[in-house]
Amino acid sequence: MSGPGVGWYLIVAALLFGTGALGVMLRRSPLIVLLSLEIMLNAANLTLIAFARQHGSLDGQVFALVVMGVAAAEVAIGLGLIVAMARRRLPLDVDQASALRG
Amino acid sequence: MIETPSVDWLALSPTLALLAASIVALLAAVLVGPWLRKPIAAAAAFTGFGAATICAVVVYVDTERPAFVLEESLTRDRLAALAQVLLALTGAVVVLVSWAERRREEHGEYYALLAAAGAGMLFFVGAGNLMTLFLGLEWFSLCLYILVAFDRERATSLEAGLKYLIVGGFGSAVLLFGAALVYGATGELGFSQIAAAEAGGDAFLVAGLAMVIAGLAFKMSAAPFHMWTPDVYQGAPTSVTAFMSAATKIAALVVTLRVLVTAFPDESETWTIAVAVLAVISLAWGNLAALAQSDVKRLLAYSSISHAGFMLIAVAAGTERGAESLLFYLVPYAAMSVGAFAVVAARERELETDVRLESLAGLGWERPFYGIALWVFMLGMAGFPLTGGFFGKLFVFSAAYDAGDWWLVIVGVAATALSLAYYLNVVRWVYMRTGPELRVAPAGGSPPRDSALGVAVGAAVAVTIGSFFAAQPLLDLASDAASQLPF
Repeated sequence: MSGPGVGWYLIVAALLFGTGALGVMLRRSPLIVLLSLEIMLNAANLTLIAFARQHGSLDGQVFALVVMGVAAAEVAIGLGLIVAMARRRLPLDVDQASALRG
Repeated sequence: MIETPSVDWLALSPTLALLAASIVALLAAVLVGPWLRKPIAAAAAFTGFGAATICAVVVYVDTERPAFVLEESLTRDRLAALAQVLLALTGAVVVLVSWAERRREEHGEYYALLAAAGAGMLFFVGAGNLMTLFLGLEWFSLCLYILVAFDRERATSLEAGLKYLIVGGFGSAVLLFGAALVYGATGELGFSQIAAAEAGGDAFLVAGLAMVIAGLAFKMSAAPFHMWTPDVYQGAPTSVTAFMSAATKIAALVVTLRVLVTAFPDESETWTIAVAVLAVISLAWGNLAALAQSDVKRLLAYSSISHAGFMLIAVAAGTERGAESLLFYLVPYAAMSVGAFAVVAARERELETDVRLESLAGLGWERPFYGIALWVFMLGMAGFPLTGGFFGKLFVFSAAYDAGDWWLVIVGVAATALSLAYYLNVVRWVYMRTGPELRVAPAGGSPPRDSALGVAVGAAVAVTIGSFFAAQPLLDLASDAASQLPF
């Protein structure tokens, strides 16, 4: 049984990547920004898996598993930072994080 | 009995030494009493970086021809070994710089993360396929995100950490998507297989290549992907800034060179232009913005962006001479930037405030050793003779000229002339201020004795000046390493 071609998967992945990139650039809450980063990584995962099926090799699938592990670690650190900021009563708003500028 | 894969433990030894050091430092944080934590953790990290240096030297001497490790996921060659020696030495000096950082607790975690970040960089420079490339990049980046935000009581440190995490994560995601596209175009992950399987002019491949370059440019803080650099360098603890400015740059540039040369030889016309454009933007933006800075860490951050431009000129040459001039440039650059941030750290600990240009007034008379050292680093960054920075720039320019990029040489020379303005301005503040401006006196009495920092600054001065007088032997080492790349 043949499913949709690899092109369709790529279109979805590109849309996801664009959504994530826009989210990182436009949203103000650091939580949503972290979420958008995850969406970008998952867009890349979808691409990797689609191509792995197309080429019939397992490399891409293994890569996607590795990326999931890395993404989990990254989000753990991000949430830790946000908790540390919340405890110090710093504003949880990316636009207001502007003590450092010049 | 199942067959086990053969593992080249020697090639992995530098990374493993640092991982072991990281584990020891982390165990020290939980197992020993609070008064012993700092000495044990720092000693473990220092020993780890030292052991990694020795292992990397052995690998360098022992590697006659490039080889693959672990199913071609890592490369064992002199390029990786030389970069590992540089990274490990930088790390050891940074341990000395960190020793007297004013921090009451969490020493074990700090040194464990420093050693783990070092291990990640040592792994990264040996990357042999796109998976180890991404894994190595994230390995050291994740450690650095935490290190940047380490001073939790300072709001600026947390802010810098969050900014670095967001922008760095964005860069990694771009690199990963690029890697996925390259995998799609070629069906391969290994750098040499990608080069062999290349279908010339494939749109996926070119798009993937562009995204990989952009992702690496985020890490080496080349303009226009540099926007995080000044904020993060300013907000991070100064010893972490010293480590990032030197080590991250070494790792990112060496890997950029390796990826472009080994995986994309057929696309060299495309990437030499892309890299040259990045170099020009970095030189222009870094130098112009540095002129307007009054915070010394910010100024040095913009200076590091412009140095990324100089190093990218060497990559853009796309020749063996370019590669060897890049490797040479990294030696004095690493010493000067760690040294300059170490002097800033000394001043910061003395005054207990952020170091602005005004805070440097009188440093040359109050602390003659640090004054002279800062003077040497600034002149070295500007490329004066009697420092290795002179030969670094000279070799880069001659490599670019040989490759026919004469316009890059002109931009580089103009950027150097422009950079004199702010480097010499720092020297001016250190020495030539009198009267009321000298009132910014130390907070209370004499600063704590900090011989570890003094040793670190001394070592950085020695390397900065030594790389001028020992330019030929260093260049020979660099050219041995560069000759193992497939040009």
